[in-house]
Amino acid sequence: MDKKVKVIPCSGIGKVFGFMAREAALKTVYELCPEKAETVCLARIVTGDQEVKEKIEGSDCITVDGCPKMCASKNVTAAGGIVIEEIKVLDTVKEHKGEKFGSPSQLDADGEVVTGEIASKIADRINEVK
Amino acid sequence: MSEFKVGVISCSGEECLGGTISRLATRKVLEELKMVEPVTLCLPLYLAGGKEERNFARVFPVISVDGCHQCCAKRSTEKYSGQVSGAVDVADIIGEENALNTEIVRNKDLTSEHLRMIDRVAEDIVKKIGNISPDAYSGKTFHGCGCSEK
Repeated sequence: MDKKVKVIPCSGIGKVFGFMAREAALKTVYELCPEKAETVCLARIVTGDQEVKEKIEGSDCITVDGCPKMCASKNVTAAGGIVIEEIKVLDTVKEHKGEKFGSPSQLDADGEVVTGEIASKIADRINEVK
Repeated sequence: MSEFKVGVISCSGEECLGGTISRLATRKVLEELKMVEPVTLCLPLYLAGGKEERNFARVFPVISVDGCHQCCAKRSTEKYSGQVSGAVDVADIIGEENALNTEIVRNKDLTSEHLRMIDRVAEDIVKKIGNISPDAYSGKTFHGCGCSEK
């Protein structure tokens, strides 16, 4: 069976960038590539959940991280996922200096735009491999 | 600086509504609660080498907020930092069927009914914070007036 690409955000709770990572990942799996991609709870990966480990191991994964600590990427790699792309929210944010993106629980208009751009990058990568 | 810090760690699960509600309720408490200083802890940082997160949870009381019965936030906290001082299971509050809803996960899809669910979960977090024994703080601060330091 052709496995879907796993798109896994950090969902960091302290800053807007973690929220942008989460929203970009969810936009990708729900709107842009629902047939080719799915998400997996990072918290379950962190706990070493066997069912999730089996799902992740050997699978193509795209991680989306909101800060340089790269929690999603590190945890997915530790769980045996094949990280084919590490998306860094800050890379896209840097292209939008001076804009207001919102809060960790609500995106402003600029935040929505940038999140859409990140989602497009994720979708482009998925379409390259699927 | 408040001596009454409490960590609130949510699972923020991406697969179902319960995770979204755990995250938003935690943020709501963080932004609105004034009597103590709630601090959110990034769950994935536990395994990614987040010493600060683990140490905080060893020193201050922590409330875990989980979107489903898997209780990932609670289990991770207890694995790396000791017992939690309170555990909120969103599924117990909004019902398992709602918590495991995989159709509505994104913020933009939330209705007023979901916002009420967030309020109820936030209320439970605040209740759990209120139930923390004062002893949980005693001798556990890094700094302060000095009388509470070990």
